[in-house]
Amino acid sequence: MQAALKLQGVEKSFGAQRAVSALDLAIPKGETCGLIGPSGAGKTTSIRLIMSILFPDAGKVEVLGLPSALDAKDRIGYLPEERGVYRKMKVGAFLRYLAGLKGAAESDAGPRAKELLEKLGLEGVLDKKCEDLSKGMLQRVQFVGSIVHRPELLILDEPFSGLDPVSVRLLKDVITAERRRGTTILFSTHVMAQAEELCDRVVMINRGRKVLDESMSSLRRRFDPTRVLFEPLDADAPLDGLRDIPGVQSVQRREGEAELRLFPGTDPSAVIRAAAAVVVPARIEIARVRLEDVFVGMVRSEAAGDESEAALREHLQGLGGEKA
Amino acid sequence: MSGTLHRIRLVAAREFLVTVSSKGFLFGVLIMPIVGFAVAMLIPKIMAQRGAQVNVEVALIDQSTVVAGPLQAELEPAAILARRAAGRRAAVQQAAPGVSASDAARMPNPVPEQPVPAFTIRELEAGTSVDSQKSWLTAPSEDKRVRRALVVVPVDAATRASGQADYGSYELYAPRNLTEDAEGALHEALRQALTVVRLRADGLDPQLVQAATRIARPRTVLVSPDGRQQGAQGLNRALPFIMGIMLFMGVMIGGQSLMTSTIEEKSSRVVEVLLAAVSPLELMWGKLLGQLGVGLVSMTIYVSLGVLALLQFALIGLLDPMLILYLLVFFLLAYLVFGALMQAIGAAVSQMADAQSLMGPIMILLIIPYVLTPIIGRAPDSAIAVVTSFIPPVNSFVMLARLASSSPPPVWQVLLSIAAGIAGAFIAVWFASKVFRIGLLMHGKPPSFATLVKWARMS
Repeated sequence: MQAALKLQGVEKSFGAQRAVSALDLAIPKGETCGLIGPSGAGKTTSIRLIMSILFPDAGKVEVLGLPSALDAKDRIGYLPEERGVYRKMKVGAFLRYLAGLKGAAESDAGPRAKELLEKLGLEGVLDKKCEDLSKGMLQRVQFVGSIVHRPELLILDEPFSGLDPVSVRLLKDVITAERRRGTTILFSTHVMAQAEELCDRVVMINRGRKVLDESMSSLRRRFDPTRVLFEPLDADAPLDGLRDIPGVQSVQRREGEAELRLFPGTDPSAVIRAAAAVVVPARIEIARVRLEDVFVGMVRSEAAGDESEAALREHLQGLGGEKA
Repeated sequence: MSGTLHRIRLVAAREFLVTVSSKGFLFGVLIMPIVGFAVAMLIPKIMAQRGAQVNVEVALIDQSTVVAGPLQAELEPAAILARRAAGRRAAVQQAAPGVSASDAARMPNPVPEQPVPAFTIRELEAGTSVDSQKSWLTAPSEDKRVRRALVVVPVDAATRASGQADYGSYELYAPRNLTEDAEGALHEALRQALTVVRLRADGLDPQLVQAATRIARPRTVLVSPDGRQQGAQGLNRALPFIMGIMLFMGVMIGGQSLMTSTIEEKSSRVVEVLLAAVSPLELMWGKLLGQLGVGLVSMTIYVSLGVLALLQFALIGLLDPMLILYLLVFFLLAYLVFGALMQAIGAAVSQMADAQSLMGPIMILLIIPYVLTPIIGRAPDSAIAVVTSFIPPVNSFVMLARLASSSPPPVWQVLLSIAAGIAGAFIAVWFASKVFRIGLLMHGKPPSFATLVKWARMS
């Protein structure tokens, strides 16, 4: 399959600071790829390199089969991390202007902008000036600006940051619709749950280096379900019996629930059935692999002993509650 | 390629429409000249509204004994009014030679008619000393409208002393509160009265002499080798400066909004969205052309206002249409140089305040030639004027001033100046494109000129 986006050994430094090093990336056409990593990992720099807003010190970028994004501008949609609009311009005029610059016909851009705005819960803003809109509204307007010309490749830098949960939902629906249209999508986020939900594939970078590049399904396979979470109906019920179930390696009690670690290769369904027979459960579930865990694991092994590790872990813990 | 032109056209159209429809443009281009014009019309009116009619008591020490009678006649209100009208006619003819005396008399008077002061003469003994009248002159009067003056006419003011070629003169003493208008009328009346007395003493008819010395000033017809007639000298002298103002305003209006809109795009971060759609060069050219349109619109407004004013006074024939064409050509060249530089500055800084220090040198290059245009217009063939008409970015101002002057330069110099201007524009746009490309996404500490040059060399 032809790659919509291909990076080979891309490097970029700002002064003495290396922002991106030896980045290889290949995204097949039609795939949705999440670019994840903590703040300052090099996500925005990588995206700017792809967009030819910055130019790499070394390495090669190939976009839609062309040597530079500059040659394929009209076929790319881009939502930069730094949102910007013409404050005095009306929303409709601004969107038509962007679509016009991307070579879209005025007759198509107008109705499509209107339709997309409505899908994102922004009815009736077409004739409002950009400065009269709230920050969250502007962000959705800008998102519309990035897809109004029906791009083949959509690059979104932190598309969900700063949005309320309802807007995030609406935005995800539109992204999913674009994906069905066959658009190749690359989006960056530091919220792992969003990547998990939308992506076919995940690329993690940390401190300018790619630390993971794998499809979601392969990730799920690789990180086999080896844990079962068990919450008893009666919080004070004794849970000692769980340890005797065949295949269970250990039981750890946490507030209100127990985590059962299984021996590799154990069938979780048998364990679940047996556990329900031992103690009456309120809830039993297989603990799915979470990107967060994978990421923390990756980073930990990569940067063992590094002072930034503590900061990173702290950062990820902070994100734990930020599920949108 | 057509995509590039399409994008440049879109950027230019947006830039033009947004600027032209902004309040700032309406205020700067339309309202400012109107306000300026209104102020220019109002100031003389305010100045002239000095007060109501005044009564002037003139104490006269007439040692010649013959001046009192004619002075009385010259201070009659009718005589004062007649002299005022004659003075105005002369002023109009001086400013616009070729206008007939009757036309000049019919022209609207921008200054409202002052009430004519009423003079009463009190003759004192010929031997009265000035000092003895001081207390009378400075004593506060009960009636606020009463002013006082003391005139001393020595004998030799009326009759020439034997063996002397020249006459003597009179003396006028007055307190501070004598109005300028009344003082002027009194001097003028004394001058007239003394002239009458002197002429009569020599047996001449004062009216005959007056008629003989009144000559209307005609328009000077300049003759050049190709036989073309040129306009009136009065207007021609002001023309280099007027051209300088036009050029300066056009460049400033276009360049300034070019810089602000670039800074705005940068600080509002919309530039990154734009750069995903257009190349920096397309963006730069689009903006440059859009604001060129803005500059052209504002200049068109000013030129039409000027032409309208000339039509109003039936002086349109005095303006050479070629000059408007030259104004257009040199505006284009000056705008490209200064506009590109100001745009580069806009791209290099993150906020308006940071732009000021970089703007300094540009403003100096813009203001000095503009201020010098009247001097260049007077000495259009001086060595420095000739040399600087080939040095961008000042060449546009210098050459235009020379073209507007009474001694236009030879054609080869005009062409050479245009060629130099084109070269200058190329260099400025090249420099700006380099700085523009690097500066647009650069935030933080504002760069110095040295940094800008480094950027240009780097990319």
